[in-house]
Amino acid sequence: MSESEKLLVVKDLATTFATAGGLVPAVGGVSFDLERNETLGIVGESGSGKTVLSRTIMGLQPRANVTVTGSARVNGFEVVGASEKEKRQIWGTEVAMVFQDPMTSLNPVMRIGKQIDEALRVRMGMNRAAARARAIELLELVGIPSPAQRYDAYPGQLSGGMRQRVVIATALACSPKLLMADEPTTGLDVTIQAQILNLLDELKDRLKMSVILVTHDLGVVATRTSRIVVMYAGRIVETGSTREVFYHHRMPYTRALLESSPKVSNHPHTRLATIPGRPPNLLKLAQGCSFAPRCAYATDRCHQERPELQPAAEPGHSFACWNPLPTTRGVAAP
Amino acid sequence: MTDTRQPLLRVQDLTVTFGHHHHAVSAVAGVSFEIYEGETLGLVGESGCGKSTTGKALMRIVEPSSGTIELGGVDITEQNGRALRNARTHMQMIFQDPISSLNPRRRVKDIVAEPLDCWKKVRGPERDAMISDLLSKVGIDPAVYGNRYARQFSGGQCQRISIARSLAMRPKLLICDEMVSALDVSVQAQILNLLEDLKAEYGLTLLFIAHDLAVVKNVSDRVAVMYLGKICEIGPADALYEAPAHPYTKFLLGAALEADPDSPMHSQVLEGEPPSPMNPPSGCRFRTRCPNATERCAAEEPQPREVAPGHQVACHFPLSITRK
Repeated sequence: MSESEKLLVVKDLATTFATAGGLVPAVGGVSFDLERNETLGIVGESGSGKTVLSRTIMGLQPRANVTVTGSARVNGFEVVGASEKEKRQIWGTEVAMVFQDPMTSLNPVMRIGKQIDEALRVRMGMNRAAARARAIELLELVGIPSPAQRYDAYPGQLSGGMRQRVVIATALACSPKLLMADEPTTGLDVTIQAQILNLLDELKDRLKMSVILVTHDLGVVATRTSRIVVMYAGRIVETGSTREVFYHHRMPYTRALLESSPKVSNHPHTRLATIPGRPPNLLKLAQGCSFAPRCAYATDRCHQERPELQPAAEPGHSFACWNPLPTTRGVAAP
Repeated sequence: MTDTRQPLLRVQDLTVTFGHHHHAVSAVAGVSFEIYEGETLGLVGESGCGKSTTGKALMRIVEPSSGTIELGGVDITEQNGRALRNARTHMQMIFQDPISSLNPRRRVKDIVAEPLDCWKKVRGPERDAMISDLLSKVGIDPAVYGNRYARQFSGGQCQRISIARSLAMRPKLLICDEMVSALDVSVQAQILNLLEDLKAEYGLTLLFIAHDLAVVKNVSDRVAVMYLGKICEIGPADALYEAPAHPYTKFLLGAALEADPDSPMHSQVLEGEPPSPMNPPSGCRFRTRCPNATERCAAEEPQPREVAPGHQVACHFPLSITRK
């Protein structure tokens, strides 16, 4: 598939914050792309840059003290450098976002129906009656019981799971082609989390959207995505098909992340693998591999020279490491 | 296996009610369990099920409305003043948010020393040695970090300091309320391993409260599942996870996400949300969402009954637990 047909093409995207302590490269040069009707997972620990990356792709970082370089094309539209007015052409219709906290992403003193209406009336030019009818349809689509009555409810009258459904309905109002979900289920209970993830899956197929799931939880991406991007200290350290990354990862950080998550299938008192230390301070990033200080396989080269992403055996799978784990596929890596 | 050991903690029919009259909410509505010496009991449930309130009621941070709490054979439910403070030295609690549970303007060594100073157990060089020892045990170098302020530490380090503080009085029972849920996975694994090491070293008994089923399974000998203020199932961790007897436990486990692309997808998802504890359903509290509910479930509250040794379930129609 040629690049123009891809829904999202990100190239060398970097977001740098100027702080009192110095420059913070929150996203330090990231490239990936996204097919149509695909679900991509972006995983990483806190501070890995996954949220800043998704907000940069949305074009939500145009404040002072922030420098964005590189390119992010959403359905052909270049987000980097676009003015707010230009970006309004893609917000909602091309790309929409669902944030982590459903309470703070809704206006607490505005009826939920009106919050969905707003996009429909401003962007789609619908009249009041048509917008109301469509909003009720959207509430029904996201599985809110008795949507016509709930239209008049305030966010405070709904539970966390219901609020997140409303946020999803708001995001879907103008039929975006790309839905970015930043930790959409993190504050929710497991049974509600399962409901919301099933809903996102179902909507993706029904509305022919692409979805980017940004999360720290490997369990969320394992069964819900076709491809994964693993981030560490603002960079992609490994990417590939979900199965490839889970079963045939080459980057020691990916393995450490997988092995340190507790599993339901573990027996009680299973010793967990740990990663010594903690994620690096982005203000004082070393010139070599950011993971080197915590890595069991690090050599002198790792501390001096930063590894770039290199292809692994399977097409689409690549990793950034000088001393990768031996391939488990029985095929020699190039 | 549970017959020979002595329970360290025995909780009987514990209820905690907030508010009065028609505004009353029974956050904990009659909970009974034992924790045996040296074991870890995991307490899981969704938000609002009363698991944290149960933990706080054991410490008498919130007052139980009825029921009894016996620690080491002593009923502490009615204790007050000096007797209660004394009892509390045997049990300590670690809270969810590591940063807000430490005073940001105090030095680390003073935070850890506070319980010792309150009780004037040790003084002078012996006290300093004890603090250094506690900090080293949790992986914080006392010489480098002892004089720093709590605000200078990350979440994982703050949780280590909280653990050191809780161990200062050499408690028998440690109540851990969502102690790793605010941490990143790599840090979470460090803290869980540390907890297991310290449990062995100090001979601790743990009540481990968490919503994360995988974390609970990894640390617990036995697990209790709560729903809307009541325990619906309790049993050995392996048996309960492999073959849950209560329909709610089955749904809860089915919703848990395993970090494995080959794990089954959520085919059976629990519909709806928990009812309000202000107006709980009659009979079985889970019946409004249970696919197996009958008229009997609405009329009669199921009492806990044993389905296997040490495995109890409060359900009229428990699922078959024949193990594969």
